[in-house]
Amino acid sequence: MIDSNLNVLIGLAMGLNLLALGTSRLPALIRAMSVQGVILGVMPLLMEHQLDWRVLLVAVATICGKGLLIPGLLRRAMRTVQIDRELEPLIGFVPSLLLGAAGTIAALALTHLLPLLPEHAGSLLVPGALATVLTGFILLIGRTKAISQVCGYLILENGIYLFGLLLIKAMPLLVEAGVLLDLTVGVFILGIIVDRIQRAFDSLDTRKLTALHE
Amino acid sequence: MSGQLLVAAIISLGLAVVAGVWWPRVWLGLTLAGAVAALGAAVGVFATGAEWEWKSAILLGGDAVHMRLDGLSALFVVLTAVVGAAGAVYAREYWSDARYPASAPRGRAWWSGLVASMLLVVSVSNGLHFLMAWEAFAICGYFLITLDPKRPAVRAAGWLYLAASHAGTVCLFGFFALLAAKTGGWELGPRRDDAALAPLFWLALAGFGVKAGIFPLHIWLPAAHANAPSHVSAILSGVALKMGVYGIVRFSGWLPVPAAAGWVVTGLGAATALLGIAFALAQSDYKRLLAYCSVENIGIILLGLGGALLARTHGDAAWGRLALAGAMLHVWNHGAFKALLFFGAGSVLHATGTREMSRLGGLWREMPWTAGVFALGAVAVAGLPPLNGFVSEWLIYLGLFDAVAGKQAPAWAAMPAVILLALAGALALATFVKAGSMMFLGAARTKPAALAHECGGWMRGPMLALAGICLALGLAPIVVWPALASAAGAWHPAWAGAKLEAPLATLGWVQLGLAGLIGAAATLLWRKVRTNHLGRGPTWDCGYAAPTARMQYTSGSFAGLAAGWFSWILRPMRTLRRPRGYFPAAAIRLERVPDVMLEQLILPVGVRVMQVSSAVRRLQHGRLSAYILYVVAGLAALGLLVLLESMP
Repeated sequence: MIDSNLNVLIGLAMGLNLLALGTSRLPALIRAMSVQGVILGVMPLLMEHQLDWRVLLVAVATICGKGLLIPGLLRRAMRTVQIDRELEPLIGFVPSLLLGAAGTIAALALTHLLPLLPEHAGSLLVPGALATVLTGFILLIGRTKAISQVCGYLILENGIYLFGLLLIKAMPLLVEAGVLLDLTVGVFILGIIVDRIQRAFDSLDTRKLTALHE
Repeated sequence: MSGQLLVAAIISLGLAVVAGVWWPRVWLGLTLAGAVAALGAAVGVFATGAEWEWKSAILLGGDAVHMRLDGLSALFVVLTAVVGAAGAVYAREYWSDARYPASAPRGRAWWSGLVASMLLVVSVSNGLHFLMAWEAFAICGYFLITLDPKRPAVRAAGWLYLAASHAGTVCLFGFFALLAAKTGGWELGPRRDDAALAPLFWLALAGFGVKAGIFPLHIWLPAAHANAPSHVSAILSGVALKMGVYGIVRFSGWLPVPAAAGWVVTGLGAATALLGIAFALAQSDYKRLLAYCSVENIGIILLGLGGALLARTHGDAAWGRLALAGAMLHVWNHGAFKALLFFGAGSVLHATGTREMSRLGGLWREMPWTAGVFALGAVAVAGLPPLNGFVSEWLIYLGLFDAVAGKQAPAWAAMPAVILLALAGALALATFVKAGSMMFLGAARTKPAALAHECGGWMRGPMLALAGICLALGLAPIVVWPALASAAGAWHPAWAGAKLEAPLATLGWVQLGLAGLIGAAATLLWRKVRTNHLGRGPTWDCGYAAPTARMQYTSGSFAGLAAGWFSWILRPMRTLRRPRGYFPAAAIRLERVPDVMLEQLILPVGVRVMQVSSAVRRLQHGRLSAYILYVVAGLAALGLLVLLESMP
């Protein structure tokens, strides 16, 4: 029962992946990412049979961080630089959607080949994680605006978080604290970089960074 | 006593490095004092036959300083000291402050540094410190080659030297590191019974072979020797190459060698000797000619060493000792006569400003001293009696003859080796007949040659001293026998002992008799010329009404026939425009012999590598997305690899 609820949530997160890949509007991308963050935050509560205060803490921290704080920061950055569209992606929206779909199917197929524990065999956790990581990579590779790349990075982190959930019984706090800390630092740094790129190049197009190589 | 003298020599040379920059006289005094002290140390080892070993408590790089001077090291110490001192005196005029105000002080400092580091190379007994001294020696050599860095050819030669030298040093790093890993410490010393160390010989042969100039690792040598100042060429050729030889001899003596080592070294020696002299014959630049001739002489030394290795692996045959003694004596001999020849070449370059033999001619009238010592060096290098080159080559011949007579397996290596050595000797004679006659005989081909002037006393002195050494080593080889015996004993304890080889004793008398005969004939001829008042005419007067100096043989035409036999490896580049019609105007025949190994093997490979590298470099363009794509591709490839491996 709990497992099927979990699978529904993971399926929802995988759908949000495709939404993130298919949209050209940055607010929609950020919303998809934040909703995914909230869904991810709820998952630990479903996985544990009795509520431990540590699991609760992890869930609350994830929902606040991924669902509210980081999207809020990104929205603010978006407003400051006055950009709300990804106009010239390196990989078009339809191709990236197709890639994401192919990646999701491949992840589902590949999971059978992996040597998983028996209790994880039926769950969508591993394919979901793989598909989310792949989505993050596609966004990182295919988008040129720094904010979309930050979103790609955060979705990548969500995928890693999903993997981390496999270990939540073994070392709950350690995994989560690590992931959250990593994420926060990453966002802060990227936030600063976004600001700097905007000031230096009058644009958020990361392709202009090639002027800096060597 | 020996040890204190050696340490004093190194300290004195170290002080000379500082003094060289500001006080030329103090520098000369310190360098000469250092050389004399080093010589004293070596003579002490030869006289007492005792090995000096000193292990101090001073730590350098975490290892205690450990020095050792045995018969073998002392042999190379003598060579370094003699050529180091002679070159220091020679440089005073050749690379004087007046002519080269910017580089002369630098040259003096690096010179003393080079001599000191070479003394250290042959006396330290710790792998780590050996590498340090080796590196210091290589770097001093680089700065000496590029003393005149304004000329692009000099810079190119310096870079080539540095690159080749470091390629060799990489092998040496591997060699010493593996040795340290297998023996459990950087300490060096005799470990003749540890059979596991035998394969390391190949690394040492490659690493030291680059420095020694074994064909085909000699690529750096012609350019460096030709473009360096002549006193630097002299020490590079006379001593620096011998450091490579020292390495090979030292570690083939201390460590066990693979069974094939003797065969390979003999083969390499024969190839090096023959091809080195073939290249020398075809050169038209006299310093390049001398450089290739050094390659040949390294080949001769290796032939002797190869014979000794063969003898050691085939039951300690006595002829091996003879071959080794010949090789070690040749180390000295080549140091003496090649330094002499390079000094002579430097004197010619100093006087005429060209290295092209076909622009010289008739120099003996203006430069009788230089011509005389050059001729003496040429006779020595060609291996003719009664000079020193003959003695050492004779010893090697005798060793190889005995090997042939022994009718064992080594005879199969010794027989072709003897034939090739004889062939190389004949070609060496042809080479130096050509060089001597092009430069000193005939009529001056160009104006600078006609306006040449004899060198001064500071340059003449060292040349005469080296000529005296060549003569002394040729006439009284018995005197140096204790040194050779002690070196042979240090290399292979079974061959220790001062027993004089019988052929050497007879040879001394034969040489003396021959020298007496030559002297008497020369005196007779001189008298006859004086009393008959022979008139002098133009050299080139074969029925032409108006002969010009340009009608003389050129170096290319002189060597054409013999060089033609080796055109398969020399690959000369020819430009030919034949005279046409009844009244032909200009005709041209140009010939250049490039270094085949460098220009047709190493350079094309280098160009390919650069092309591939610059193609790969396009992957690094600064686009973040593409970098992430590389990471994903890498991860996917790794995942695929794991999946494929886990599949049945």
